[in-house]
Amino acid sequence: MANENTPYGAEAASRPMQTFVQVLVSGIATGCIYGLVALSFVLIYKATETVSFMQGDLLMVGAFGVLALNVAGGWPLWLAVPAGVMGMFALGAALERSVLRRAIGQPHLTAVLLTFGLGMMLRGSVTTFPAASHSIHRLQFPYTDEPLRFGTLAVAAEHLVVIGMTALLAALLTLFFRRTRTGLALRACSENPQVASLMGVSVPAMHTLAWAMGAALAACAGLLLAPVTFVHLNMGLIALKAFPAAVLGGMTSLPGALVAGVFLGVAEALAGLMLPEGAKDIVPYALLMVALLLFPSGLAGGFAGMRR
Amino acid sequence: MKRSADRRFIVGLLALGLIALVAAEGLGIDHALGQVVFVATYAIAGLGVILVVGQSGQISLGQGALLAIGAYAQTLLVLRGVPAIVAMPMAVALAAAGGWLASLPARRLGGLYFAMSTLAFALIVEELLARWESVTHGAAGVSVPAFALGGWTADSTLAQAIVSMLALGLAWGCCRRWVDSRVGRTWRAVREDEVAAASSGIDVARAKSRAFVIGGGLSGLSGALYAHWIGFVSPEQFGLLLSFELLMLAFIGGARRLGGALWGALVIVAIPQAIALGRDVLPAELARSAGLEAILFGLVIVAVILFRPQGITGRSARHDV
Repeated sequence: MANENTPYGAEAASRPMQTFVQVLVSGIATGCIYGLVALSFVLIYKATETVSFMQGDLLMVGAFGVLALNVAGGWPLWLAVPAGVMGMFALGAALERSVLRRAIGQPHLTAVLLTFGLGMMLRGSVTTFPAASHSIHRLQFPYTDEPLRFGTLAVAAEHLVVIGMTALLAALLTLFFRRTRTGLALRACSENPQVASLMGVSVPAMHTLAWAMGAALAACAGLLLAPVTFVHLNMGLIALKAFPAAVLGGMTSLPGALVAGVFLGVAEALAGLMLPEGAKDIVPYALLMVALLLFPSGLAGGFAGMRR
Repeated sequence: MKRSADRRFIVGLLALGLIALVAAEGLGIDHALGQVVFVATYAIAGLGVILVVGQSGQISLGQGALLAIGAYAQTLLVLRGVPAIVAMPMAVALAAAGGWLASLPARRLGGLYFAMSTLAFALIVEELLARWESVTHGAAGVSVPAFALGGWTADSTLAQAIVSMLALGLAWGCCRRWVDSRVGRTWRAVREDEVAAASSGIDVARAKSRAFVIGGGLSGLSGALYAHWIGFVSPEQFGLLLSFELLMLAFIGGARRLGGALWGALVIVAIPQAIALGRDVLPAELARSAGLEAILFGLVIVAVILFRPQGITGRSARHDV
């Protein structure tokens, strides 16, 4: 099955199984990042009906923020990472309070352009720092040096960390939505803002919370991505793969977004292994097109339709 | 309504001339004419966006790909010895076909899902252009010969300005006719309420397709001219950023009026020029950075959406045509 064009070609010929597992692990890890970004997108979309085209920029700003605290500020990573994520939480809340609040109730395209404009401003602001725009940077996480070896199998530690942290974040989010009053209020607000406000939930506060959490989640994705692709201006482009994931997941389903993200990551990795070069980058969009045309309301909607 | 819109267009042309004069003082006549070329070329693509987004109410996140189809078709045909003036209708037709293809999912999908399908379409086209190396030369790009007509070559900026203004005038006239005709009324009916339009006997799918075909043709024309003016095409010129720049152009100018295309193009072209003029005043580090342009673009679009949601040309929702 291995194609000579793929970078794995020669290796695959000698040890097909190991290569397959390694590609699978890296695909799942990439997919987890897609899934996390898609999750942040869906969280915002569900609560505020705002289509955010700035998740990629938030991801990049989050990674650069931690980098700045760590390298320029001299903070240790265990302090810089939570501080950076909290900073992005605050940034998301501030943007919602000042600008994004006005996009509520507007047509989708208005929100798309508004968030794209804000994203451009964020990216432009980072670009004005020459140190940021001219080179790629490393965050010195302790786990990035050596691949883990299981017999003949070598797996990059950062991939395993991505998968583990995504599972942890998903578990925390589930706990938040299922077990806390605020989580319940946010869910109620997503389901029906009118009824939620009648029940005493402050809908504007929930909108602010959704944006803050969306920004913080994007920053987490950026930090997990940092050891894999390094920190650079265009790392936010990965969000373009998160849109197909969000759509495949049905746009309004948080678990759906995460699962679809992992699915796309794996599909992409396998396409890189088996299809000619270049096909890899088209696969998520081709899958999105096929899925959209077969299930016009997203995969989750399609399944729901079948169950009914 | 029509007359006032045309008057606005003439005012726009006069303003364009005035700005060109001011720019000629500040930056030299050749440079100023060069900017006129780009305003006119962007405005043609902007007209396409306005038909799709402002008139028929569809979200297209992939207009840049249609420009790419026009630009590449023109380039490859001219390189194979087809005269530029003959190649151009073919490039327009190919881009129109691309627009039709992009509009097909609209038969099954609505709103945001359809928008995502146009995004996927654009990214697939961009990737194909980069990968189909035997024809497109891949990511390295292709050089484009100058626009030639018989023995005459449009190699001066004045000649380029004349050609692009003629093309803009032609495109404008066609759009004006379509928008004022039955076709335009079906678009606006679909935009306001698809169910009501369908129950009034309008073929909604056909109206959307038609908007995308015409919008695609205009994008193709703009792309073909752009390829000649820049003299070089590569897939990354026509990426997502261009699609969004065109959407911003339409929104800044006012997506519901044809005049919005010209005003929006003026603003889009003026922003980098303003930075160039302000370079002496600003701190050197900031002025040289590419970031300033992105910040300014973002600021303009955010400000327009917050404070003037109907765009520069729009006054109130009741005056839409």
